[in-house]
Amino acid sequence: MTPATEVRPPLLGALRRAGLSRRSVGRSVVIYVSFAVFAAWVVLPLWFTVMSSISQPAEMVARPPHWIPLRPTLENFEAVIGASSRGNNTSDQNARILLSLSWSLIIGVSVAVLNLLIGGLAAYGYSRFRFPGSRSGYVFLLVARVVPAIAIITPFFIAFRVTGLINTSFALIFSYLLFTLPLSIWLLRSYFDALSPEIEEAAMVDGASRLRILWTIVAPLAAPGLIATGLLVFLEAWSEFFYANVLTSQMTVPPLLASYNSLQTFSWNTLAAATVLSLLPPVLIAVVFQRYVVSGLSHGALK
Amino acid sequence: MPSHASLDGAASETPKPGFVRSGHSKLGAADRRFGLLLAIPATFIVLLLVGGPSLQTIVYSFQKVSFKGPTPFVGLDNYVRLLNSDEFRHSFRITMVYAGGFVLISTTLGLVFALLLNERFWGNGFARTLLIIPWAAPWLMVGIMWKWFIDADVGMFNGLLFQFGLIHDYVPFLANPSGALIVTIVAAAWRQSSLSGLLFLAALQTIPPDLPEAATVDGASTWQRFRLVTLPWVRPVLMVVLVTNVIFGFLQFDVIYAMTQGGPGNSTTLLSILLYRQIFQFSNVGIGSAIAVVLGLVAFTVGLVFVNFLYRSESVYGRAVE
Repeated sequence: MTPATEVRPPLLGALRRAGLSRRSVGRSVVIYVSFAVFAAWVVLPLWFTVMSSISQPAEMVARPPHWIPLRPTLENFEAVIGASSRGNNTSDQNARILLSLSWSLIIGVSVAVLNLLIGGLAAYGYSRFRFPGSRSGYVFLLVARVVPAIAIITPFFIAFRVTGLINTSFALIFSYLLFTLPLSIWLLRSYFDALSPEIEEAAMVDGASRLRILWTIVAPLAAPGLIATGLLVFLEAWSEFFYANVLTSQMTVPPLLASYNSLQTFSWNTLAAATVLSLLPPVLIAVVFQRYVVSGLSHGALK
Repeated sequence: MPSHASLDGAASETPKPGFVRSGHSKLGAADRRFGLLLAIPATFIVLLLVGGPSLQTIVYSFQKVSFKGPTPFVGLDNYVRLLNSDEFRHSFRITMVYAGGFVLISTTLGLVFALLLNERFWGNGFARTLLIIPWAAPWLMVGIMWKWFIDADVGMFNGLLFQFGLIHDYVPFLANPSGALIVTIVAAAWRQSSLSGLLFLAALQTIPPDLPEAATVDGASTWQRFRLVTLPWVRPVLMVVLVTNVIFGFLQFDVIYAMTQGGPGNSTTLLSILLYRQIFQFSNVGIGSAIAVVLGLVAFTVGLVFVNFLYRSESVYGRAVE
């Protein structure tokens, strides 16, 4: 890396007098140029979506484009949540977004809680005990993690249709366990493995029951792992589109947005407002709980 | 997984030192039963949810199935028809190209981002927060955002090119077959490069700081430091990231569905899209299931490499002898 040559000599002299070497100036230039490119790559599609959500359709076709709308408006949000009859032609799709957001929340939380309960118990079992079949059971879970959910959806579709469970939240919660349980057991086990079993043994000598120990000692110690796993599972459920699209009629947010996206009458500005509303929860979670999320990701992939 | 198959049967005989370190002396029969009870519900649910539908899908692939009526067995008919179909062969090729481009862009960008964010500079914390955001965006919404971002009427990407005088008229990227393929790859790589970057960064941060310093003292150039210190250190993670990206590339559906629905023509009809169309639009469950089996086998084989790899790295401290 020798980009310092780009800096003109007089400037370089001034910088050097300020205590900066040629090498460190070069390094800063490279870093901040790359940083700017990186930031543009990440931010531009999001910026465009957010700005579109507060723009009027007429302003979108301006050339050169307006990077910030001249007359910002909340009409798109009003239109998409059905608070206003003005704005775009949203016809019967009015207010569906709030319903879908609620369903996404309910389903995401349910799947996360079920994973922590059922998956947490299993992970603890596999982490601490040797029992007949413990190794083959665990290997099976690892292999199950690799079966692509997208390839085996038809039996779910047929089974739910036959039993009348199609288009219910149960269908989604149940089928989401398919790809979340192997993940959460894997993750939680790696967190449990990192805890020393000595405290549990001491408690057992004191006469505490196994379940009590699990609830009062192990769970608090493994809290970071439980939080990370819960968040990752919630985000997976929130993002899932394929099953939600096939098994329900736009119950959760992704299939609803897909249907907006395919409607010719639905303007991009309104869709952008719906997209912003649906992106906010996962993005906020990822940013606020960054530490847990990154820890979970690296446990899942690297341990 | 030939190396593990033998382990299953021999599970009870071989002691596993690192795992249950002090467990053996205190693990009575009651505790073993407790462990089994804990593991059964989740394992059974996964067996039911994964095993059942997998077998059923394989059975469907040998049958002539619509959503109503009888389902006669037709042997290899569905597979023969697939192999003779130009549509399928085209789709298979496109899927390979798509996965290849996706892996290349996601992995390279991820590594570059991680190397950048591993440096110390003002604004680094903010940059790390930026890195996580694309990953947090659901695939479908990534597709929607990019579809409109590069749109020929309102898209900001066209606006950008226009503003800098690179184009005189907005370009309908998605209307052109190779343009559509490239743009859908880039859109998906926008999200995946973020995940790859996060994983690479986590690995880079475990490099002991005196290692690159020592290399510098020994007169290593920046490139040599990267090639001789950094790269060997992240090689295991590189493997994991590559395999993850291959699987995500092969199975991509949401981004294509949002951006092109497989078009224009068949230019972005990945196997996943073909499968969806055959089953849920044409009710050709048999043919669709045969595609699912092919797609599943490809992803599964690559995935086993991944699991095998993770399993090995675990066994380094999990088992004393392999």
